Amino acid sequence: MSIALILLIIVPLATAILIPFVDVFSNTARKLLVGFSTLVEFSLGMFIIVSNFRKIMDNTFYLTYYLGEWIPPIGITLSMDMLSLFFSTLISFSLLFLVIYSIGFIGHHEGKYYVLLFLIWAAMHGIVLTGDIFNLDVFLELLLITSAPLVAFKRNRNGTEAAIKYMFYGTIGGLFIFIGVVLVYYNLGTLNFADISQNFNTLSLFVRKIIASFFLIGIFIKMGIFPFHFWLSKAHSACPSSISALLSGVIVKVYVYVFIRLFWNVIGFDVLVETGLDHIILVVALISSIIGHIMALYENDIKRTLAYSTIANLGMIIAVLTLNTKLALLAGLLHVLAHLLMKVSLFTATGYILQFTPGHKREDLKGVAYKNMLVFVGFIIVAGGMIGLPPMIGFASKWYVLKAFMTDGLSLAAVIIIIGSIFAFVYYIKYIITGFKKMTLGPPDKFRLILTVFYRERVVTDIALFFAIAVLISGIFFKVVFGPIEGAVEVIQNPSFYIDYILSG
Amino acid sequence: MINNLVFVIVFLLGFYAILVKKNLIKMVIGLNIMEGAIFYWFISITDRGGMIPIVNGTQVASQMNDPVPQALILTGIVIGASTSAFLLTLIIELNKFTNSTNPDQIGGMIED
Repeated sequence: MSIALILLIIVPLATAILIPFVDVFSNTARKLLVGFSTLVEFSLGMFIIVSNFRKIMDNTFYLTYYLGEWIPPIGITLSMDMLSLFFSTLISFSLLFLVIYSIGFIGHHEGKYYVLLFLIWAAMHGIVLTGDIFNLDVFLELLLITSAPLVAFKRNRNGTEAAIKYMFYGTIGGLFIFIGVVLVYYNLGTLNFADISQNFNTLSLFVRKIIASFFLIGIFIKMGIFPFHFWLSKAHSACPSSISALLSGVIVKVYVYVFIRLFWNVIGFDVLVETGLDHIILVVALISSIIGHIMALYENDIKRTLAYSTIANLGMIIAVLTLNTKLALLAGLLHVLAHLLMKVSLFTATGYILQFTPGHKREDLKGVAYKNMLVFVGFIIVAGGMIGLPPMIGFASKWYVLKAFMTDGLSLAAVIIIIGSIFAFVYYIKYIITGFKKMTLGPPDKFRLILTVFYRERVVTDIALFFAIAVLISGIFFKVVFGPIEGAVEVIQNPSFYIDYILSG
Repeated sequence: MINNLVFVIVFLLGFYAILVKKNLIKMVIGLNIMEGAIFYWFISITDRGGMIPIVNGTQVASQMNDPVPQALILTGIVIGASTSAFLLTLIIELNKFTNSTNPDQIGGMIED
């Protein structure tokens, strides 16, 4: 029993509820509350790591918390193992810096913005920590309904359209997951992850196949994999850049976590192999990868290009995870980390750059490099990482992905990844060249002028640069994270470990 | 068996509304029909004789209805209500910009 697990969910949830009341009295109090809760939440994660450091090093780390002291399989269990810890740390780390970025970036309706941001934080931690399949479904819906208002946050036509699409797709995805939950409960009479995992193989192959398909379709709709990717580019580009970074960098990774947890620890990967579904996932994910790159190549809007690049990279992650070898899982998790850092970094830098341009189109970016050279150099470095150039972390992760494909003899998949990288090179270099074109920036229009009054340039540039440096440094010292990632891979590959520590305490 | 059949028919009716209808509000109603189908199905397939699940000595456990699905569905109804409320808000907002509720003007659902 560890009280820290429930606090990880309660702290942001309580902050979200408190902010409107504090906001009525004073702005300063609300800012202090936001800063304080962010620090508390971040240090809670750090506290878990520090106090269990020896166990993390020995790969025997796990924590559990039983809500209402009901011993599983009855009641809701919260649990944290290496896989949850990996994702939880990524979430806390990126949210800490995105909150600081938002302080300088948003400047209007800040009260509402932070309420939704903290609810998202609570939902993401809930998804990562929960050990109950219906609880997972509820947190997924909470994540959807709190991120959709932020998609429409600019209150223009584009944002509203994007949010409507996002809500329709997300709700239908949620319904498919709910049908999966219903089928699981009807057939097994339990909702606990470990209990399901223990008894799942007693069901007939047909039932297992149906359940796996429903979960798969639900998760893929929510994630934006190939046949269901229509909402993603619009939703991830219509919102303020800080939210784009959150959606494109962090929230899609939470869905990757759900995919891993359900299909390795709960349902078991055997069912996918037995029914041949893993080949279908591999093909679909590779198509998703190449289509994302092609669409990004033909796109003229910088934020939409970055959104399409998310589809492509997500396809790559899912494709490499389905190989189900130790190397492949390691490569997938490393690319989760790499893509999170790079995409958050690109969107934070883009958000800064777009403050000076009349629009989001490529022609509008002329001359932005001369406005603030340092941030633009950061943008170039991270774009290089996205392409897969050596000193950045993108190179390391792509190298391992290619290695995993080659060891499995899937050279075609490796070729697709390399072609995708060439496309990425082309579309990033187009924006970079446009940025260096000599041209005086016209006077910004009136609405933008009003926004820049609230806009604290210093904080925004610092965070954008920080993420660029993080991409560079982590590319050189990426072997440091191999220890935790190998621990996570061990958890993924041994469902029995997961069952044991939940059911036996 | 009849429960499964009803579920499939009603669920597909809702899905049909989302795919075919040219009005965003009707599409939200379709979403609600899909949700309703799942709730009906879950309640009906876990039905076991209809006794209230209160243990007082004379009740037989095997005839009591399982309270868990009912709790799950209550949660599901709350989620569904809030989702459709928020979607309708967004549609009102869109109507202010474009004066119409046709999904084609937002590029349809399968274009980007």
